[in-house]
Amino acid sequence: MLTNIWIVFHKETIDNVRDRRSLFMALIYPFIGALLLGLLLAFVGGMFKRQARVADTTVPISYKLPVHGAEMAPDLVAFLQQNGIEVVPAPLDPRRAVRKGNADIVLVLTNSYEENFKTMQPAKVRVVINASRLSTVLTVSRIVSKLREFADQVSRKRLRELGVPQDAAQPLLIQNDNVGRSRSLAGFFLNMLPPFIIFTIFVGGVYLAIDTTSGERERGSLEPLLANPIPRWQLMFGKALATFLFTLTAVVFQLIAFKIMFEIVTRSDVGVVVNPGSDIFALALLVAAPLIAFAVAIQIIVATVSRSYKETQTYLGLLPLIPSLPGMIMVFIPVKAKIWMMGVPTFSQVLLIGKLMRDEGIRPVETLVSISSTAAVAALLFVLAARLYDRDKLVFGG
Amino acid sequence: MIEVKDVTKSFGSFEALHGVSFTARDGEITGLIGPNGAGKTTTLRILYTVLRPDQGHAVIDGFDAVQQRQEVQRRIGVLPDNRGLYPRLTAREHVRYYGRLHGMDKPVLEARIDELMQQLEMEDIADRRTKGFSKGQTLKVALARALVHEPHNVMFDEPTNGLDISASRAVRALIRSIRDEGRCVLFCSHIMPEVEALCDRIVVIAEGRVVADGTPDELRREAGQRDLEEVFLATVADGRREVA
Repeated sequence: MLTNIWIVFHKETIDNVRDRRSLFMALIYPFIGALLLGLLLAFVGGMFKRQARVADTTVPISYKLPVHGAEMAPDLVAFLQQNGIEVVPAPLDPRRAVRKGNADIVLVLTNSYEENFKTMQPAKVRVVINASRLSTVLTVSRIVSKLREFADQVSRKRLRELGVPQDAAQPLLIQNDNVGRSRSLAGFFLNMLPPFIIFTIFVGGVYLAIDTTSGERERGSLEPLLANPIPRWQLMFGKALATFLFTLTAVVFQLIAFKIMFEIVTRSDVGVVVNPGSDIFALALLVAAPLIAFAVAIQIIVATVSRSYKETQTYLGLLPLIPSLPGMIMVFIPVKAKIWMMGVPTFSQVLLIGKLMRDEGIRPVETLVSISSTAAVAALLFVLAARLYDRDKLVFGG
Repeated sequence: MIEVKDVTKSFGSFEALHGVSFTARDGEITGLIGPNGAGKTTTLRILYTVLRPDQGHAVIDGFDAVQQRQEVQRRIGVLPDNRGLYPRLTAREHVRYYGRLHGMDKPVLEARIDELMQQLEMEDIADRRTKGFSKGQTLKVALARALVHEPHNVMFDEPTNGLDISASRAVRALIRSIRDEGRCVLFCSHIMPEVEALCDRIVVIAEGRVVADGTPDELRREAGQRDLEEVFLATVADGRREVA
């Protein structure tokens, strides 16, 4: 029995390794996933890091601020300089410069500024910004708040000179208390890993499942093969094992790609300090393994009952979307894992791999329930696949 | 020996075989002929265990094709109408795959493969991948893998289909040599001269029934025709009339 399964497995493996193009495509996908996520992480992480520095009011900012008419306002320039904002000459057309993104913000002091400031009239300062550029929002608000601070300082000074208690001019004392941490950004990305991995589980070996069943039928090599003295379920299982091997390879490739991606992102100082260890990835693979068997069984069933190669491809092309869906939703709406969820193939793996990646730890009982229930469902599906392989219809499809 | 005993087979509402019975004996070449859609391929498929009969039995060397499927599979070599190859495997690997599935030991198998490559004059293509093989080359590979385990019973569906004259002749020689070794050969063909030249016995099937069964001479005598093609047309027409 084992010899027969091994012979079929061996043949399908050799056959598939020689299919360079399919193999290349199957292994390139996991890398593309990691690459995309890495680039996104580096890009968004870098942006957030810059903004986090700007948003953190305890850290002085250093910024070159273009000011038109700075010579009229030595007090303001001095104040800004004290606060780390260096005043530089403004571009000739401030509106154009900001619209084109050459400057985030430009202050324009109107001609009457000096006069009005001296005579205690409101001195007009025009702040030229582009609110549609989200990346500048924090910088702008920081500078505007500095302007307000300056205005408060001046008004307190004037009130003091007029003999009014300073505090009367400040009815509210507003303090920001931001509890968000930059880690939560990384958490968002870590939530994106499970759907990627689930997707790979369902597409990693799909071409092999199609080729060894629908393809074998369409090629006309199935009929003579079935005349050999080997029970059909062993034939099916040999093919399933080959599909399992190549899916597993794709998943391992993807996990390695993710690990490399995290290493690079952590080292490249984009401010995202998250790097799940190799042990986490090994556990993720353990959690994923029974789901691979589950996916392979479904693929073989679909390939067996489909009428043609094309029909199989259509069905199996849609298939990965369904199991990936819960994972995609959970990227945005995290679900708190309950034990019954561990009984549901795909769903439990999304939850567990997510927890692993976020370093929340998984309980042995959860892992055990997930692995055993998914393995049991996969086994039942293989029994069904074996029954389907035993039908007369196998040679015709349908 | 191949025995078909009152075999019935339907696909949905279509009745492909209605109680087909005949015997193909050892040391004889039995031709299974009939018009398109008569049930030849279905009969063969039941014999080589790919389909199960609804009723009746297909028996090979005394083993039932359903109850003792693997015993039957060990004793048959099959060249189906569908003789697809794996484009990424070499000719030799095709034969090796089937030999291994038949449980042949490596030294025996490798020696047998060499023998077949020589016998079928395919040493030049033995280690080439089969992608792009001509019809003749494809047939040689399919024949080699069907015969690797030296089966006692062989079934060929249209073995010379699409072959050139010299290749067809080589196949006919091979079929005769198998018979001369005392083995049982059952083959389907449309080509009457070929059937006439090769067959010791002829079974004519029409609309899922056996309408004639005998040596070529017996059939000629019964139909009162000298040309086998005329015999064929007459028996098929008679058979149809009886059914109606």
